[in-house]
Amino acid sequence: MPAITEARPAAHKGPRGRVVIFGTWCKGCGLCVEFCPTGVLALDQDSHPIVVAPEKCTACHWCDTHCPDLAIVVQPLEVAR
Amino acid sequence: MSKDEHSAYNYLRHTKKFPNVWCSGCGIGIVMSALIRAIDRIGLAKDDVAVISGIGCTGRMPVYLDFNTMHTTHGRALAFATGLKFARPELKVIVIMGDGDALAIGGNHFIHAARRNIGLTAIVVNNSIYGMTGGQHSPTTPLGSRAATAPYGNIEPPFPVCELAAAAGAAYVARSTVYHAVELDRYIEQAIRKNGFSLVEAVSYCHTTFGRMNKLGPAVEMMRRLKENSVTKAAAEKLAPSERPDVIVRGVFRDEDRPEYTALYDEVVRRAQGAAGASVRSAGGAG
Ligand SMILES: Cc1ncc(C[n+]2csc(CCOP(=O)(O)OP(=O)(O)O)c2C)c(N)n1
Ligand code: SF4
Ligand code: SF4
Ligand code: SF4
Repeated sequence: MPAITEARPAAHKGPRGRVVIFGTWCKGCGLCVEFCPTGVLALDQDSHPIVVAPEKCTACHWCDTHCPDLAIVVQPLEVAR
Repeated sequence: MSKDEHSAYNYLRHTKKFPNVWCSGCGIGIVMSALIRAIDRIGLAKDDVAVISGIGCTGRMPVYLDFNTMHTTHGRALAFATGLKFARPELKVIVIMGDGDALAIGGNHFIHAARRNIGLTAIVVNNSIYGMTGGQHSPTTPLGSRAATAPYGNIEPPFPVCELAAAAGAAYVARSTVYHAVELDRYIEQAIRKNGFSLVEAVSYCHTTFGRMNKLGPAVEMMRRLKENSVTKAAAEKLAPSERPDVIVRGVFRDEDRPEYTALYDEVVRRAQGAAGASVRSAGGAG
């Protein structure tokens, strides 16, 4: 998987990820939202997960190892300094 | 979704079968992705893997996987897999079963596959219930829990799946949960690498039937309970015996090397051929 380079605030250290959600496979179970340790995700009015705080993603991969529908993936991100 | 975006993509029948049939939030899909990660780490070619199942929600899994697959009859996955292993011993044969599939109708196949130590990897997704048919109690339903066939509470003690497999003779036995998905894929990897009968119990949940009948909440609540109610083997040893029945103990419970069944059988074939060859020779000499 190619890493994506993206400008991020200098305060960010360590690994970061970009979250991609596949809307056609996601069933809106909310597991990713509930268990993301840093609050990157939230459910919208239709119970679909959305990325609300992308800068908080530590690329811990909880969400993409636990999504029962393989509908979310975290891509490694290289932070441009 | 494309191949570059998701590492599991290459192992899925993604164009035909998705989204999957499982209820929103069901843990079975988490076991499927753990299995994919384990196979990917070992680096097996897709053609060298066969995934066999019976019937049930868990039994749907091979439908989604792009390996050699067989979706067989309820309770008989291990019997079909035994036949396949005999015919094609070089394949990595992985058998995926629900608790009802493996231990109720299929209980006899289960203990004898373990006793023979045939080189199969069995993964039992234990959701404590018959999910597909609407929540009848299974051989792993906890005492006192409600089920469609136990509306006043289950009076049958559950089988401890790992202990049963180990007592029957399995070479490798481990238990984890769908909350501990990374530990789960590590155990599945070790099980696949084992030359002998290996069992991984993947503790999951069925919020749609068991959860509803026992007022345990939606998938996120049942997932949280797996996190809070499970301990490692080392931590369990420090608990008082009275506390132990209430927790899920995770760990590797057996990892031994014993002669594998199809290899022993090949040995018998060679001996028989040697004996037959000798008798042909002696018959020829006498004539
Ligand atoms: C011979 C036979 N008996 C009964 C059934 C009905 N049946 C289908 S799935 C199932 C049980 C499913 O429970 P389990 O194996 O625990 O899997 P789950 O659905 O919970 O994953 C039963 C009894 C069947 N299909 N075939
Ligand atoms: S865990 Fe998967 S299916 Fe559930 S809400 Fe998140 S992306 Fe959707
Ligand atoms: S990788 Fe971890 S931090 Fe990032 S969104 Fe997923 S669960 Fe949250
Ligand atoms: S009925 Fe239960 S086991 Fe079957 S898919 Fe739904 S939640 Fe999963």
